[in-house]
Amino acid sequence: MAASADPEALDFEPEEDDLMDEDGEASPRGPPPKLRSAITGGSSQSAPRKTKGRGFREEADADRNSNLKGREFDSLSSTGGRGPQRSIEGWIILVTGVHEEAQEDDLQNAFGDFGEIKNLHLNLDRRTGFVKGYALIEYENLEEAQAAIAQMNGTELLTQTINVDWAFSIGPINKRRNMNRRGHRSRSPGRRY
Amino acid sequence: MAQRGEEESDEFYVRYYVGHKGKFGHEFLEFEFRPDGKLRYANNSNYKNDIMIRKEVWLTPAALRECRRIISDSEIMKEDDNNWPEPDRVGRQELEIVMGNEHISFTTSKIGSLVDVQSSKDPEGLRIFYYLVQDLKCFVFSLISLHFKIKPI
Repeated sequence: MAASADPEALDFEPEEDDLMDEDGEASPRGPPPKLRSAITGGSSQSAPRKTKGRGFREEADADRNSNLKGREFDSLSSTGGRGPQRSIEGWIILVTGVHEEAQEDDLQNAFGDFGEIKNLHLNLDRRTGFVKGYALIEYENLEEAQAAIAQMNGTELLTQTINVDWAFSIGPINKRRNMNRRGHRSRSPGRRY
Repeated sequence: MAQRGEEESDEFYVRYYVGHKGKFGHEFLEFEFRPDGKLRYANNSNYKNDIMIRKEVWLTPAALRECRRIISDSEIMKEDDNNWPEPDRVGRQELEIVMGNEHISFTTSKIGSLVDVQSSKDPEGLRIFYYLVQDLKCFVFSLISLHFKIKPI
């Protein structure tokens, strides 16, 4: 710990360092918060957000800033709207609330009745090594996945209530944000980019 | 848990980036979860024949909620990157999260292993970041690989 005096921080991207280098805590007067990828088009929230982190104090590098912007992304053709989206080889459902000591066999037993499970991901918490709490299951047919959701959602697996739903959708989540509030809010202001 | 008060209707956005610029150009991996459910994933590693992978898919509210739970449980929003190693020539990580009324945008260097975490000035905070990033990547890789039948890395 005696070695921590050496300020290796100083040579960070000096050529882009045209901001005044202000060292300090989360700066309340820093540049206005904005999403660096500029994809969400800013926020329409009225309450100011609490911001924290060095990311607000750096000038985004032009190259970096464009990784997720604008360009073409592959997607399985979808029409938009509501409903589950088919994946390349089948239909994926998401199980949440999975007990941390669950085994693949437990899921296989519970979900194998609805059709052959083509794929099962039961991911682990990287810190504890226990199950993270969700599972992704693939069936070949829509009907199988539908039946699994209908019959397993809200049931108990190893003493915990699980929720079962589709993982993918054919369109965006409909946020009833304009309907439940009084007054009218203008549609989100035009993007900055 | 302490931080579970967030309403589901609140704004929610996550972006993670890791990358560096070297002799193979700009190599990076980046993904984001948007409030409307769109999951975007991009991976550019140039020694694999210049192939840039860019995938996007709409998630259901259930899938977005699970992402949110993972973040909420980690309590990353309580941390601060002030004492984390700064990004350097070896690489850079960025984690940006909007949840409820809070917006974090953390940056740090690449973290090779827990040894780097332990020897940092904020091992507890950096450990939370370190594991959260792995858990998020794990979730994203599963979603992308199941949906598109590709190996995302």
